[in-house]
Amino acid sequence: MNTHSIPAVSASNVEMQFPGLLAVKDANFELDNGRFLTILGPSGSGKTTLLRMIAGFLKPTRGEIFIKGKEVSAVAPNKRSVGMVFQKLALFPHMTAAQNVAFPLKMRRFDAKKIPARVSEFLNLVRLDGLEDRRMNELSGGQQQRVAIARALVFEPDLLLLDEPLAALDRKLREEMQLEFRRIQKELGVTTINVTHDQREALVVSDQIIVMDHGEIQQDASPTQMYRTPHNPFVANFIGVTNLFVGQLAAVSGEAVDVTIGALTLSGILRSSPETAVLGAQVRCAVRAEQIRISAALDALGELDAAFQGTVKDVIFEGERLLYELSIPELGDDPVRIFHHDQNDFATHDVGETVHIGWMNRDMHIFVAP
Amino acid sequence: MQRSPSSYPLMWRVMDALEAAFAAIWPKGGGKYTPYLMLTPAIVLVGTLVVGLLYIGDSSLRTLDKSTFQFSEFWTLENYVRAFSEPFIFTVVWRSLMGAVIVTIVTLMLAFPYAYVMVRTPNAFLRKFLLIALFLPFFIGQVVRAYGWLIILGNQGIVNDVLGLVGVEPLRLLFNYPAVLFGLVQYMLPFAVLMLAPALTAIPEEIEAAAGSLGASWVETMTHVVLPMAKPGLIGAGLVVLTLSLTDFAMPAILGGGTQDFIANAIYDQFFRTSDQGFGATLALLLIALGSMLVGVVFAVFGAGTLALDGSQK
Repeated sequence: MNTHSIPAVSASNVEMQFPGLLAVKDANFELDNGRFLTILGPSGSGKTTLLRMIAGFLKPTRGEIFIKGKEVSAVAPNKRSVGMVFQKLALFPHMTAAQNVAFPLKMRRFDAKKIPARVSEFLNLVRLDGLEDRRMNELSGGQQQRVAIARALVFEPDLLLLDEPLAALDRKLREEMQLEFRRIQKELGVTTINVTHDQREALVVSDQIIVMDHGEIQQDASPTQMYRTPHNPFVANFIGVTNLFVGQLAAVSGEAVDVTIGALTLSGILRSSPETAVLGAQVRCAVRAEQIRISAALDALGELDAAFQGTVKDVIFEGERLLYELSIPELGDDPVRIFHHDQNDFATHDVGETVHIGWMNRDMHIFVAP
Repeated sequence: MQRSPSSYPLMWRVMDALEAAFAAIWPKGGGKYTPYLMLTPAIVLVGTLVVGLLYIGDSSLRTLDKSTFQFSEFWTLENYVRAFSEPFIFTVVWRSLMGAVIVTIVTLMLAFPYAYVMVRTPNAFLRKFLLIALFLPFFIGQVVRAYGWLIILGNQGIVNDVLGLVGVEPLRLLFNYPAVLFGLVQYMLPFAVLMLAPALTAIPEEIEAAAGSLGASWVETMTHVVLPMAKPGLIGAGLVVLTLSLTDFAMPAILGGGTQDFIANAIYDQFFRTSDQGFGATLALLLIALGSMLVGVVFAVFGAGTLALDGSQK
């Protein structure tokens, strides 16, 4: 990607102070043209506030937001070239599907003669041809989503914003619509910012993910980077199911570090900045549930850097995988959670059974406690 | 888990006692007739009105003999012929009709922004203030309020006192058509706001934000989105104001000073001044017909469904 091009969207030191609540703290990010960014975070993390500032419904109390290089803090929403799909869709119930899609074209003074052709082009794009004259209460949930997308895109905005529009859908339809969003976004090449609390959705649809918590950006990375090299325990825990152990830093050599957890010494990869890695510092060690192997016999586990024995406390059947909760006293009081995916080996371990587990050093992420 | 009945909430115990009492009076629980039983009071009430209407219908067909002060023995349409031929009645009907239409339009124009601000303001204090200001007039009867306007707008009233300070001769602010309409608008405003507020609350704020992000200015959002979506509320409020204004008695009587009679005042005069019950009944029936026609026209133009009376809308 051309590093000299102007980013489609960028934020510099953006802050939103509500009475008694700092909703967004010092947010900085850049998003390149045609890319799909997901802002991911739990409810109350400030992700929707950040989106509403980009849309223009809120004015940041500090900092600047640029769309196509133009500072927009003082520009009203209807003067920005931003299409938005709202959480509750906010479709106009007194209009038909075609009238909903034509609305932004009329408001933005498009050539009236070209509107019908443009409307049917975009209804085709979202596969709603034939339903032009339906009212909103005559459309299914998925069809309403499609009208909302078409309405947000029909005026070819510089930027598409998605404010958790999929949150209310059932899982199957949600996953279908995620791929649909992805397809349309790729087809039109429109720069998109999506807000969600669904980490799976973020991994599936995005080119870039920003994880937020308590109004602060925790990490800004690609999905694979986010998954493989989380910057802090929050990110490690929010994306996927992660086991966290408390320990102390015992040795540092570049990224590879040794930690002591109780009487054990284990090795892992340092994910905090090197200057914080002081010997003896308290650390949190994260290992993902799917990166721990489990077996009744130790030699069936293959090559491992760390191996333990534990007792099965609980087995949860999740369909495509099993979740084991193990008690391993050496690693602390919290149960160790392990996903077991092996489709060829349906031998399950029973509650109370003693099993062997283990993982590779490269899968243990070490974070220095702040 | 077993709980002793005494630990249940008070409301449950009251309801249980009522159910037990009902079962004692009506052991089978009434079965499928219970719903009809519950309808009875309303049917009796409406039925009484129908009986009264029949009596009025009967009176309207009898003329008063001015010499004997007796009503005619036989039915005649003479009262109806008189109602349609007397210019005074036409003036009164036209004045009432125009008054009701003007009052409805002006009231809706004032009530809409009031209700909108009340529903949308993020300021809790302002919302409470608007609500209290809305409900306060309900505690003061219509007649008392009309007398209040007499004090404010009279020749020696507050308004003329203030105008006198700046050297303006006392203006005649009372006993004319505008004074009656002014009083009616002030009386109808709370009704209209109360009927509009739920209609506006039902429009999600997100819809207005959406219209903005799609390129609509504030005015365009109002005209293309908020007003069309508030249509059922506007029609409902309009109907209430229209019918209440058309049939109003106190405002024309007090603020009109006898020179600005509406239909209700004319009916009152026939019943209690000239004691011509027959002609009064005729005018009353004409008023009912006029009101029903107006409501019918509104339904025909906008459709009953716009009032959200049509169950399939939900």
